[in-house]
Amino acid sequence: MTTEELTALTVNKSVDARGTACPGPLLEAKKAIGTIGSGDIMEVLSADEGTKKDIPKWANKKGHDYLGTVEESGYFKIYLKKG
Amino acid sequence: MIKKHLSIYTFSTKNRLNINNIKDNIMENKKMTMALFSGSIDKLTGAGVVLSGAAADDMDVDVYVLLMGARAFVKGNENKIDGLSEYPELKEEFLKSLETLKVSTWIEFFEMSKELTNVKIHICSLAGKMWGGEKMEDFIDLADDICGIGEYITSAQEADVHLFI
Repeated sequence: MTTEELTALTVNKSVDARGTACPGPLLEAKKAIGTIGSGDIMEVLSADEGTKKDIPKWANKKGHDYLGTVEESGYFKIYLKKG
Repeated sequence: MIKKHLSIYTFSTKNRLNINNIKDNIMENKKMTMALFSGSIDKLTGAGVVLSGAAADDMDVDVYVLLMGARAFVKGNENKIDGLSEYPELKEEFLKSLETLKVSTWIEFFEMSKELTNVKIHICSLAGKMWGGEKMEDFIDLADDICGIGEYITSAQEADVHLFI
């Protein structure tokens, strides 16, 4: 998905994990995904470089869809759709 | 067993079952066995990070707390920071970095992992005794039971991932 499409998504759950280093964002994502329904959109905000590859791989492995990542100033947003 | 179940689902399905749901429902979780020999803050923190990763991945984890590790699990010792296993001269720098990066404490990592997945903490009976822990009430709440070395070896033989920290 393009950046425009990603930012236009209606997000059901937003997880701000910018305050923690790895494995904080992954753990936050894991906890949060259990609280939303199938097909819901979740965004994870992180400033940890390791998260960029970690969360998409984890999501795909767990049957969720990784939709894309949007770069912001000093952090990024990862978009996922729960499977 | 797993294969048999999968084939039943794969061939009998008429309504396009999502393969990931099938996996979630039928396939057993991957298993990790960790021998936690070290009880210093650097190794405990590292063990906590690895454990968190396994928890995020829904692994079943058995942690066997061996000799030096058991000291940290005896009540009253869990927050003691006496030394590092690696680069002891850099202790202050290490502790400062943990604080700056807002890294969870090793206890928090272990607790979070237990909340997320099936993590069992077994204290080696010999190791416990070395540090004054003979019964379950001598150990912090994270500990699930006291065990012998045979159980660790059996667990390691069956594990998909086996670590010694």
